[in-house]
Amino acid sequence: MQFGIFFEMSTPRPFSPGIERTVYHHALEQARLADELGFDWVWAVEHHFLEEYSHCSAPEVVLSAVAAQTRQIRVGHGAVVCVPEMNHPIRVAERAAALDIISDGRLEFGTARSSTWTELGGFQVDPDDTKKTWDEYVRVLPRMWADEPLSYEGTCFSMPERNVLPKPVQKPHPPMWVTVTSPGTELDAAERGLGCLGVAATSYAEQERRTREYHRVVQSCDPVSTVVNDQVTTLNFLYCHEDAAHAAASGMRMVQLFGLSNSHLLWTREAYPTRAYQSLGNLAPGGAADRSGPGDPHGIPEGIGVGDPDRLVAVIRRWESIGITGINFFVNACEVIGQDDVLASMRLFANEVMPKFRTEASGPGGTAC
Amino acid sequence: MLTGTADVQALAAGAPVMETLDTGPAELVDVDVLQAAFEIPYASREALLPPGLHPTTPPLLIVLAWRVGQSPWGPFSMAQARVSCRSGVRPRGFVAGCIVDRPDAAAALAGGWGLPAVPGTVELHRAYDRVELAVSRDGAPALELVAVDPDPLDRGDAQFTVTTALAQTPRGLRLVQIEPEYALRRVERVRPHVTAFDGAAWALAGVVPRYPVAATISRGDVTLAPLRFLSRADVNAFEGTERI
Repeated sequence: MQFGIFFEMSTPRPFSPGIERTVYHHALEQARLADELGFDWVWAVEHHFLEEYSHCSAPEVVLSAVAAQTRQIRVGHGAVVCVPEMNHPIRVAERAAALDIISDGRLEFGTARSSTWTELGGFQVDPDDTKKTWDEYVRVLPRMWADEPLSYEGTCFSMPERNVLPKPVQKPHPPMWVTVTSPGTELDAAERGLGCLGVAATSYAEQERRTREYHRVVQSCDPVSTVVNDQVTTLNFLYCHEDAAHAAASGMRMVQLFGLSNSHLLWTREAYPTRAYQSLGNLAPGGAADRSGPGDPHGIPEGIGVGDPDRLVAVIRRWESIGITGINFFVNACEVIGQDDVLASMRLFANEVMPKFRTEASGPGGTAC
Repeated sequence: MLTGTADVQALAAGAPVMETLDTGPAELVDVDVLQAAFEIPYASREALLPPGLHPTTPPLLIVLAWRVGQSPWGPFSMAQARVSCRSGVRPRGFVAGCIVDRPDAAAALAGGWGLPAVPGTVELHRAYDRVELAVSRDGAPALELVAVDPDPLDRGDAQFTVTTALAQTPRGLRLVQIEPEYALRRVERVRPHVTAFDGAAWALAGVVPRYPVAATISRGDVTLAPLRFLSRADVNAFEGTERI
């Protein structure tokens, strides 16, 4: 089992001078500590215009700073929005390769297509097209990183023969992932031999179903590259404290605030009727944030990484048992937990919980096909 | 977290009176349904909503129009202007204004479901490649809208957000949650364009439907379901929601 931290750069109102600087520098401090403590990944999302929820529109810049300030932890570009109005594919390939060089081969490369009207509308993207452009990107990016030179004639873009530079350190290229929000996207990932980067809150049962389907399909995938990334990760919250009641009180404030800000996003389907977006949000009823916790004396929903170390070990054991190979954690939301408490939570988790899952060497996934 | 800042008492000036909350269901048969979304300026997003609701970003003006073939009140047409919002964590459309072309239907929708229905003319016409909606109130144009280039969608692709409207109820001034159930036989997406909009006619003075997003034209049956929830307009939904 691998562990990561996941940055949205959620920023509380009022947007006073300096608040974004505080959020960003807190995140960098968390990344440095995660590196020291032996976390495996630090991921940064790409979102645009999402007031409060995410002020992380230039993750490649954030991750460059992370790479420069850390030694071991892998940097997760999670994920690049693969639509040309936001990111031209050549620029995506160039930036990712540069980040892989800066980090000495520590890049994990996530792909996505955006799911809010706020973002797609802001860039005047046709929502009907995003699945197509994402599919085209994930097939051509490995060629840009490997071929010298490359010419390409496609649907969303074309290029005459050019050598896309630089080339990444990792060969043939950094591990590739797909962010999975809507049910079924895990199959898109599996069919292409891409890792499943879960970013939606799901129940144990739903995640088990998705993971089982993913592993079934990835066995016979038609990969977009010469390597297959068959890892399945999920997204969670982390607040660990010796006092279970305190952990519940503080941790659940984070969970609830995140859920509230998430629910206030304007999802594409709500504004723009389309077959291309089947889900209204990514915290669907039945997801972790909605479930009560029968049996938990502090009312923490099942599967949530909030509690004392013993509870977190049990929770992670359960995720592990259903085939999850990694968990990425939000360690704060809108600064609702003080930075000192966040860092203490991460230390306690690293000291008391992570060792229980380190009996076997774990490293970046990827198998030759 | 943004919340509405509109003066609840000022909003209440246009609120209908409901004598009972024990309403419905009512079956509306052979209904043409036009729903069109437009972005409106950020500057208006909080001022249009009571404190019990939260704006979306960007805020949307959603025009919903029905041409009803059969109903308990006979054929009628209705148009609503709604503002996209959240009640707690739930997507909602707050009805700012509602115009109905048949007085008894208007009275029933106001008294039974809390819609701020006022009389006017509503003309919804479907042609092969275009849809036209013209709404007037007190003889003056309130809205003129054209939507073109129909593109078939699956029936489930039309998204109808639950409605909330402010009404004087037996429990006092409340936001009434209205949940029409749509059984659609045909759905097409169309590109909307507003040619005339008088915000004052919809209690949306100063609002400009600036940026068209998308629209659907659908046909099917609609059930106005019995009411289930109310909420207070002055506090958030976590504190102010009441089951009927």
